Amino acid sequence: MKKALNLFALIALFSIAVFADVPRPDNSKNQKSVSTTMMIHLKEDAKEAKLVIPRSQLQQLRAQLDELDKGSDNTAAVVSNGGITRTQTIVSGLFLSMAIVFGGIWFVRSGRKASKTAKIAAIAVLLLGTGSIATLVLANAGPPPEARSITGKMFTQAVHIYGFGSGQIKLEVTNEDRQYIDLIVPDPKTSPSPEE
Amino acid sequence: MQEIRVARTYLTSAQVFLIAFVTSCALAAAVIGSFPLQMSIATIFLFAGVHNFMEFRYFAARMPVRWGRSTAYYSMGISGVVVLAAAYLTLYFSSGNWLWSINDWTMLTAGWNTVFILWIGVLFYLRGRQKPKSDWSWAFPVVLLLAALAWIIPQYWSLSLVYLHPLIALWFLERQIRRTKPEWLKAYHYALASIPIFLLVLWTTLARQQNLPEDTNLFWRITQHAGSEILPGISSHLLVATHVFLETIHYFVWILLLPLVDFRAIPWKLDKIPLFANRNGFPKLLAAALVVSLLLVAALWLGFGINYTTTRDVYFAFAMAHVLAEFPFLIKML
Repeated sequence: MKKALNLFALIALFSIAVFADVPRPDNSKNQKSVSTTMMIHLKEDAKEAKLVIPRSQLQQLRAQLDELDKGSDNTAAVVSNGGITRTQTIVSGLFLSMAIVFGGIWFVRSGRKASKTAKIAAIAVLLLGTGSIATLVLANAGPPPEARSITGKMFTQAVHIYGFGSGQIKLEVTNEDRQYIDLIVPDPKTSPSPEE
Repeated sequence: MQEIRVARTYLTSAQVFLIAFVTSCALAAAVIGSFPLQMSIATIFLFAGVHNFMEFRYFAARMPVRWGRSTAYYSMGISGVVVLAAAYLTLYFSSGNWLWSINDWTMLTAGWNTVFILWIGVLFYLRGRQKPKSDWSWAFPVVLLLAALAWIIPQYWSLSLVYLHPLIALWFLERQIRRTKPEWLKAYHYALASIPIFLLVLWTTLARQQNLPEDTNLFWRITQHAGSEILPGISSHLLVATHVFLETIHYFVWILLLPLVDFRAIPWKLDKIPLFANRNGFPKLLAAALVVSLLLVAALWLGFGINYTTTRDVYFAFAMAHVLAEFPFLIKML
């Protein structure tokens, strides 16, 4: 019985590695691209950001997509928001709650033995730990509004430190005969301050 | 009658150790800060395999022939190393397969991290049970807090392991000095205190350096390993230099300093290994394991010579086993 159990454990252990044989996706297919030129226009009168794609280039892009679809490569369909998922938040919260509960139990149990200094140290660690977690929560706050909307302010030095920016945009297809993609970015004038 | 006295200053072995340690660190910091990529390639080529052999040799010397009341502890330790290493390799070599999305990958990695942390918590608990007068149940809230962090900031968690692992060797050395060379302990603590100073010097010097080139796959892997993607606001020159500096100290401790303070860790002194010398030991098995380890070191050098980048990737994947193996032995020494 013991031998059978050991054999089963051994097989179970190495069966994990079987998945390692799953071939890696051929990323070379994804590297196909359409070469083009992009112009960025900052327009004071624009109300919303707009990406205008010439129909001719869209057709080239569609052809590429069709080719990808034939290869049954659906990796593009996998969407990741790049942030913290709901599962991560739930599991993390669960562990955090358990840490507090177990910490409390340990604190009460060791209360009789512990000296006053040790108690103060334990409370300080708890407060510092909670403070650290609170910092992490604040670190989740989004970047400033300039980096969360596509406007002319996105090109300022202040937004460069974030290394990215995002915002709503309208995609349009134009029939005009042009060889470039046009990104129209609203660039409203800042209203003068009362002192000016 | 006049007496002539010659005043002589003698350096104790502890002082020589301290001077040698600080001088070596200063030299290493200067060279690594100037040539981080080159030094990363050179140190891994030269020392990675050798330090793994020395670690294995050290752990073999510390393993008792009969586990006695530590049976539960060693069983948990060894099974944890085997299962976690197998799972890690599975995750590593399966990465990028079409079955798993990015979210699946994140969940599986966080799951592995959780099991790893809980395993360490259990080891602490089991070790604490062997010390009747102490209460080590504080390990549970601590590991649960760490598990929460591993889920909420998985990328920083993984990066912290990269930077904290080299420091574990310093902890081993501290415990070993306490046991076999206590006269060096004070000097060693001064030596330890010098490391943050070297790091501060490196950081202030390199903070404004341009990012290192990533035009080859190898350079990209080195900078990525040091966290350039996770910490894009920090110069990759600084990150790689810091990582290589800490790794070099780690190699230095395992290859040179631990055998220096513990004669049982000198590779050829097999009679100091209980598993080899004891009547109830396994001399043939241990000798074979040591020979295989030496062959693996040679194979690693050969691999680096043929294809450095691929061998480096494969090495770091398998190197997780030695990172895991350090924990049971370290906790046992506490």
